[in-house]
Amino acid sequence: MEHQISSAFWVLSFVILTSAILLVSLKNVFHCALFMVLCLFSVAGIFILLDAEFLAAAQVLIYVGAVSILMIFAIMLTNNLTNRVIKQTNENGLVSLFVCLSFAVGAIMLISKTHSWNYRANELGHDNSLILGKYLMTEFMLPFEVISVLLLAAMIGAIALARKERS
Amino acid sequence: MFYYLALAAMLFSIGLFGVLTRRNTIGILMSLELMFNAANINFVAFNKFIVTDGLTGQIFAMFIIAVAAAEAALGLAIVLLIYRNWRGIDTEHYNVMKW
Amino acid sequence: MDFPFPEYNLQYMLPEIFLFVWALVVISFDLLSKRNNGSTTGYLTLFGIAIAGLLLGLVGNGKGFGKMFINDNVAVFFKVIFLGAAFMAVGSSFGVMQKKIVNHRGEFYALLLMSTTGMMFLSSSQELLSIYLGLELTTIPLFAMAAFYKDDKLSVESGIKYFIIGAFSSALMVYGMSFLYGLTGSTDLAQMKVAFFKTHLQFGDMGIVMILALIMLAAGIGFKLALPPFHQWAPDVYEGAPTPVAAFLSVGSKGAGLIAFAKIFVDGLYAYHSPDMAPNDWGMLIGILAIAAMVLGNVLAIRQTNIKRMLAYSSIAQAGYIMIGMVALSASGIASVGFYLFIYLFANMGAFAAVAVFEDMTGSCQIKSYAGLARTSPFFSAVMAVFLLSLAGIPPLAGFLAKYYVFASVVDVAQRSADSSWMYWMVGIGLLTTVFALFYYANVIKVMFFSPETSPYKVEAPLPAKAVLAIGVIGVLLFGLYPEPILQFATGISSSLHFMP
Repeated sequence: MEHQISSAFWVLSFVILTSAILLVSLKNVFHCALFMVLCLFSVAGIFILLDAEFLAAAQVLIYVGAVSILMIFAIMLTNNLTNRVIKQTNENGLVSLFVCLSFAVGAIMLISKTHSWNYRANELGHDNSLILGKYLMTEFMLPFEVISVLLLAAMIGAIALARKERS
Repeated sequence: MFYYLALAAMLFSIGLFGVLTRRNTIGILMSLELMFNAANINFVAFNKFIVTDGLTGQIFAMFIIAVAAAEAALGLAIVLLIYRNWRGIDTEHYNVMKW
Repeated sequence: MDFPFPEYNLQYMLPEIFLFVWALVVISFDLLSKRNNGSTTGYLTLFGIAIAGLLLGLVGNGKGFGKMFINDNVAVFFKVIFLGAAFMAVGSSFGVMQKKIVNHRGEFYALLLMSTTGMMFLSSSQELLSIYLGLELTTIPLFAMAAFYKDDKLSVESGIKYFIIGAFSSALMVYGMSFLYGLTGSTDLAQMKVAFFKTHLQFGDMGIVMILALIMLAAGIGFKLALPPFHQWAPDVYEGAPTPVAAFLSVGSKGAGLIAFAKIFVDGLYAYHSPDMAPNDWGMLIGILAIAAMVLGNVLAIRQTNIKRMLAYSSIAQAGYIMIGMVALSASGIASVGFYLFIYLFANMGAFAAVAVFEDMTGSCQIKSYAGLARTSPFFSAVMAVFLLSLAGIPPLAGFLAKYYVFASVVDVAQRSADSSWMYWMVGIGLLTTVFALFYYANVIKVMFFSPETSPYKVEAPLPAKAVLAIGVIGVLLFGLYPEPILQFATGISSSLHFMP
């Protein structure tokens, strides 16, 4: 059973891959951050195609809204010359390129050769944000609590590290 | 579904390439986000086509997003420390110890 | 669909809840006391860990939050190890607190407690999502703690390296987990096992993409365990990080990686080897990693001049010995792994505590600055020698028994199964590398005891560090002569993992 691949998928994946490649190859870090926004925004589009509306919203809010702003702030705080063009890749670029290309080809081959997916007759329906919330409050309640501890720990750590000391 | 998985695999290897080759620490962080997103696409695609009873895949993806955000915040705090110590954030600055 | 609320059974996770609350108490106390007495904060933390240990002894085995939290023998055993590691790390941190970390003592201890909470949660998890979250909660505070000397370039460097490696490895791990989820339709380890059999019956195999998932998972956990070829980060991080943090990393985070490995591979995927792969094939893969770890770790440790780097390479080698017990994939193998980790806790934490005490005195971690220490502080040198000899595996000490049980469990399996000559080879190589190991451990002892000059330093340890050293020595000596209680405790583990006999 194959899902009808819409033209939206092709457009989105083209945008994702192009911006991802630009992200890892551009010289200016600031432009890279902008392409990261574009890339992650299109991933949110993919989520909508896959009936994960709530995730798409979370993706936009957290990645596009918070993380990328954080990145851009960090770039502005740390790069004394944002427009300075310096070499952004290190010397083992060719080896890495080979490794990653072979990884991509190998992974896609392995995926295409696998036939033992247990496809279900019905696909996941739309409008599952409500069910998602119910799952979070019942079955996945403990991980939900744990991640709040994790966020607190990350916050304490980040504040303790980034704070300038009065000497 | 194959197309979604292939897209995720390509995104993952682009992120891998970025982590291996970027010299800018923030560049490495951004490439890491790509890798996490590849895993997310996988989870959501599996949830849509294969495991249609339950939403474990979407919930897992949501937790990955949250953890990645926490990691990014902490990572950028360490990047600030690097900047204060070396006045620059390229990886060669802090490679004073041999790998 | 209806969504019943799960039975919470909060009483089973009292130690975790208490530790988390105590972390907040420690932070608030440090803020309210105007940050001026670090040692009170430290004692408060020690007290909290002790209380959590007591609570752990009181709560019984059971399940909570549906399938999310399970307190069985494995969980309790590893929780004891994690609490012990946290206790000894805090105990050896008092000197550091007086001199180097002046501003954020409360945060430091709170992060340590939260990391311990993560490890304990991890050892109670039966499900990929909670394993992932537990690992993250373990490592995220450690990233910050490794970089805690904010003006020290080495420390910041070790922080960023540990961060990049940690995030990278969890990206690999999550990608692997996504395929496991797709192939089995569940993230619950118990349901995964059922799904493996079903899929196998239906299609004849699990699908070739399983290999990709396994490689990704093994690489992700291999990074956390610092198994070669994923070990390069460990010496740098151990050298740069504050010494108590390095100690905590070497036992705590290694134990966390180990329990994740045991849960996913030994417990969860054990079903997978029986239909498609013989257990031996799978064991051989771990065996190769273990051999690489033993050889690389021990050989590279010989050339080190910095004692923290030396201990880092030695801990890579120790991880190799631990993985040998995993190769056996038998009840006695898992029990020997547990025993090894328990002894390793005493010996390694003790050695790191001694290094921390010495570093606080002299500011140096070079092996050559230990020269002639036996003349000025004979007691301290003797304690250090006991730890190093136990790590090397010299007979009257517990380290010897630990190595013996690990090797014995593999030989036992090898005798029972056909086509197992590679197991004997593995044991042979392992024994050979212990000789190398003896060389560099003995070198430190030689420098301390038989060096012609007299050391200019006289070691004065603060009281908690003395207690930690004493605990370590007592543990190593006592369990070397009288290992039965730990052994019994460790054998209990295997009853909770589901093995074929």
